[in-house]
Amino acid sequence: MAETAALGIIDEIHAFVSDRLQVISYKWLSRNLLVSSNAAKRLLEEFVEKHGGGLAVIYSLSGWLKSNPTTYHIRLVPSHMLSDAKEEFDGKCSVQVYSIQACLPKDPATLWNHEFVQAEDLFKQPSTLDNCLRDNRFCGVSNSFVKRTVGGTPLGTGSLQVKSTRVSGLSSSSIPQATADPRSIQNNFQNAGSNPGDQAPNTAKPVKTEGNVKPDLAQIADKEKVPRQLPNNKKGQNNKNSSGSGGSLASMWGRASAKPKPDACLVQAEKARQGSSAFQILLSYLYSNITPKKHLFSGISQCEAQISARESAEHEISDDDDGDKAFSTRRTSNGEGSRKRRAVFNYSDEEDEYDNAITLGSPDPPKKSVPCSKESLNASTSECNLSFEEEKSKPKIEEEKEGDVKAKPKVKEEKESDVKSKPKVKEEKENELKANQHLGENIATVSNDKKAGSPTSEKTLCHVSEKDASTKNTMANDVPKRRKVVKTLIDEKGREVTEVVWEGEEQDTKSNNNNSAKIAGNSTASNAINRPPAVRKSPAVGNTAPANQAGKAGNKKAATKDPKQGNLFSFFKKA
Amino acid sequence: MEVDSENGLLQRKQATYQSLDETFLIAKETYKGQQYSQIYFARLHLMRTMLYSLLPTWKPHLPSCTVLGLEQGKECVIVGTLYKHMKLKPSVLDEYSKERSASPLVQPCNFLHSDDYLVLEDESGRVKLRGALLLPSIYVTGIVVALHGKETGAGDFEVEDLLEAGLPHQIDRPLNSGEDKFVVFVSGLSVGSTSANPLHFQLFVDHITGHLGDEKEQGMAAQIVQVVIAGNSVEIGRGLLNGQNLGSKDQSKLSEPIKELDILMSQIAAGIPVDIMPGEADPANFALPQQPLHRCLFPGSAAFNTFRSCTNPHSFELDDVRFLGTSGQNIDDLAKYSDATCKLEFLERTLRWRHIAPTAPNTLGCYPFTDRDPFFIEMCPHVYFVGNQEKFDTSVIKGSDGQVVRLVCIPKFAETGTAVMLNLRNLECHALTFGSQFDS
Repeated sequence: MAETAALGIIDEIHAFVSDRLQVISYKWLSRNLLVSSNAAKRLLEEFVEKHGGGLAVIYSLSGWLKSNPTTYHIRLVPSHMLSDAKEEFDGKCSVQVYSIQACLPKDPATLWNHEFVQAEDLFKQPSTLDNCLRDNRFCGVSNSFVKRTVGGTPLGTGSLQVKSTRVSGLSSSSIPQATADPRSIQNNFQNAGSNPGDQAPNTAKPVKTEGNVKPDLAQIADKEKVPRQLPNNKKGQNNKNSSGSGGSLASMWGRASAKPKPDACLVQAEKARQGSSAFQILLSYLYSNITPKKHLFSGISQCEAQISARESAEHEISDDDDGDKAFSTRRTSNGEGSRKRRAVFNYSDEEDEYDNAITLGSPDPPKKSVPCSKESLNASTSECNLSFEEEKSKPKIEEEKEGDVKAKPKVKEEKESDVKSKPKVKEEKENELKANQHLGENIATVSNDKKAGSPTSEKTLCHVSEKDASTKNTMANDVPKRRKVVKTLIDEKGREVTEVVWEGEEQDTKSNNNNSAKIAGNSTASNAINRPPAVRKSPAVGNTAPANQAGKAGNKKAATKDPKQGNLFSFFKKA
Repeated sequence: MEVDSENGLLQRKQATYQSLDETFLIAKETYKGQQYSQIYFARLHLMRTMLYSLLPTWKPHLPSCTVLGLEQGKECVIVGTLYKHMKLKPSVLDEYSKERSASPLVQPCNFLHSDDYLVLEDESGRVKLRGALLLPSIYVTGIVVALHGKETGAGDFEVEDLLEAGLPHQIDRPLNSGEDKFVVFVSGLSVGSTSANPLHFQLFVDHITGHLGDEKEQGMAAQIVQVVIAGNSVEIGRGLLNGQNLGSKDQSKLSEPIKELDILMSQIAAGIPVDIMPGEADPANFALPQQPLHRCLFPGSAAFNTFRSCTNPHSFELDDVRFLGTSGQNIDDLAKYSDATCKLEFLERTLRWRHIAPTAPNTLGCYPFTDRDPFFIEMCPHVYFVGNQEKFDTSVIKGSDGQVVRLVCIPKFAETGTAVMLNLRNLECHALTFGSQFDS
């Protein structure tokens, strides 16, 4: 029987090659005749021996290369080059007939075409059909752990139905076997039982053999669900799993819907943190060292301050300073007012502005402040060096009086950041400064670790500020130059934090970020601050550490901050 | 009975697989408009904590301080992120100065210049670095290091010694495995490209699934337990992607490479477990970590339980041997901004810096993570690979704690016809090449 069958095959092969001028590769033959690859190769060999006269034969050589011992090489060569190619191999190389064709193709890729067309046809068959492409039945190596699922159910029964799926339409009688790999099919069948316990599709293969509606489903679910499940389920060839699949499908939908949502709470927390950031900024400014050498943008202190401020704001723990508590409580109450205003100038380039929904407002056009600042500049230079803290407190306090409850933290920040603003503010609020000075002093001392702050005084400050809140409105009208600016800093988590800060004066409120940006751009460690040359109120004051967003990313982004925002460190004397 | 009753059918070896890609998935991240400062801060924080723990053994007598706390003339150790100021670094604004075209602007391959200098930054400030020890051509932006030195009068920091993070801890791999099991790496298949020869890929598929070859060869093929495809599996003609509406013919042209790949992948997946990673040219997202290619792209292959779509970078464990690798974007970026004799050196550097992609997000697209840096290497892999390189290269590096890592550069298959086979037993590599020669 084998011989007659073989004869029949050989005739067929002959017909293919000569009449249709096709390239007959062993793979094509194996799929066509439903024989294993090895058998197909043997057939080809026989054919070539007997009838291969007028045909071009291509052999595949494989073996270790002589030249490079660590390379395993596989090459296709036509028969006339066979002996030469063999030389290149180190030792014995296996020679097999790869394909036979009427003549040698010019382009090697044409060898592949015919075979690929066949593969494509097999591929396009309904996915529930388990054909030789899909279960790899004709290869020399079997893998019993491979499972194929269609529509969420393994092809258990389905595989048995595929007997002799022939692409070419040769008569089946001449073909000895149909389902070539009974073992693999049986394995599939056995594995069709569902095993809900198995949840890890990526773990050991042997686990998969236990069964797996669920694991496959889980796998599919992990990969985010494929629409094909629906149509495939409808076909429902797998009776035993149909109900299981229905249930699992539903569970998959359930799983799909239960995806993690965007962290609404996270966003809120973020906002809460950002809301308190102004406070932290203020603290950070106060904390920062005034070493002339480095870019002092609040450095450690800022981080510490932010961390402490944040913690105090959120957990009501005062880390470094008892006064923080007071500040934090005030802060939250101050929070609301600032949101109503609209920013007049938009120098800050932070995008988390909208995120935080903070709007800045300025009651008056900024221009007025310029002349004022100049005057105050002159006036303040002498003063700046004197009651340093007083000056610092002034803008803050006055800003508080602006009528914006929330201004306080911002004010603080601004105070620290905008030394320039001080003189101007100071001038305007001379009369009110006395009480405020005291407060400001306290604030300054309290918030700055280095200066022995007294928490109680800070608290009194707060109270005083609150009392003055009523006067803030009036102040607001009187001080057209003040307005809120947005500052951004890097907080403890490396987040960019946007603070809304009162700026007493444009020039003053050159943001430290500006400086930092410049310094970042220059990337120099010199403490000669490259302050923007524009109106700077108190250049004599330790304009040391620019309030940098020390964040590396921030610097790398070359954030250009509001040039009008003042520098915190103008408040401090050169240490 | 039947002509081909293969009772002696070879059984493929199996290995236990565990995916460690969870850290690279961004399904749970939310984008609220944040920028990149947070990932930098997370990186600094993470690595600084680790470096501080190493300081006592390195320079116990020196104090550590922040950039802010530097005092002139005082020797200390500072820890921060390196920033390399590069004169030739391309700016995004150049795109707008020239005419906009669909194809990217041609850029020089390497942006090094003799005037580049390094700056150390932490959250307090930055300081310019000087010193003969520090060669700017080796380092890139984004590495966290510890530096020993002192501040000069000019305000710079004179570096006397440098401490990198070093190789992380490695779990010893089991030594008792007696049999040879192979993992095959291939990348740059570029299915659908005009220059790639599909015959070679088909030969590859036939070989590893066990169709090709005689008994001995099929025996070798039966020892292959895993295939990893490291990126750039398809090449979709850029000419079609110029923003215009496509007719139906063009649309089918767009999808043909993927369909072809799917057919070939299903041939592989029918026999061997296969992991496919996205690459630069694949239909996946641009920013690292690239998310797995969607299953809908592979309707035929995805039905197999052996088919796994993975992230880039990809990390997994096979028989307790830990693998980590990327499709090549991180190493290619390093090659643009730093200098080395070979790609393996870049690989080694990233391991010693304990960070897969230090140039992200500076010059390499990256997702703005808020609270973690997934590219930080926590556990030392046993095999560290990179795909889409020019040629096959491999070496072994050793760490100070006895770590042993096999570095593998996987060449582009479409150009070289070379795949890489790695033996799990002894971590030895050899190349697997395919060729066809019809003209004498």
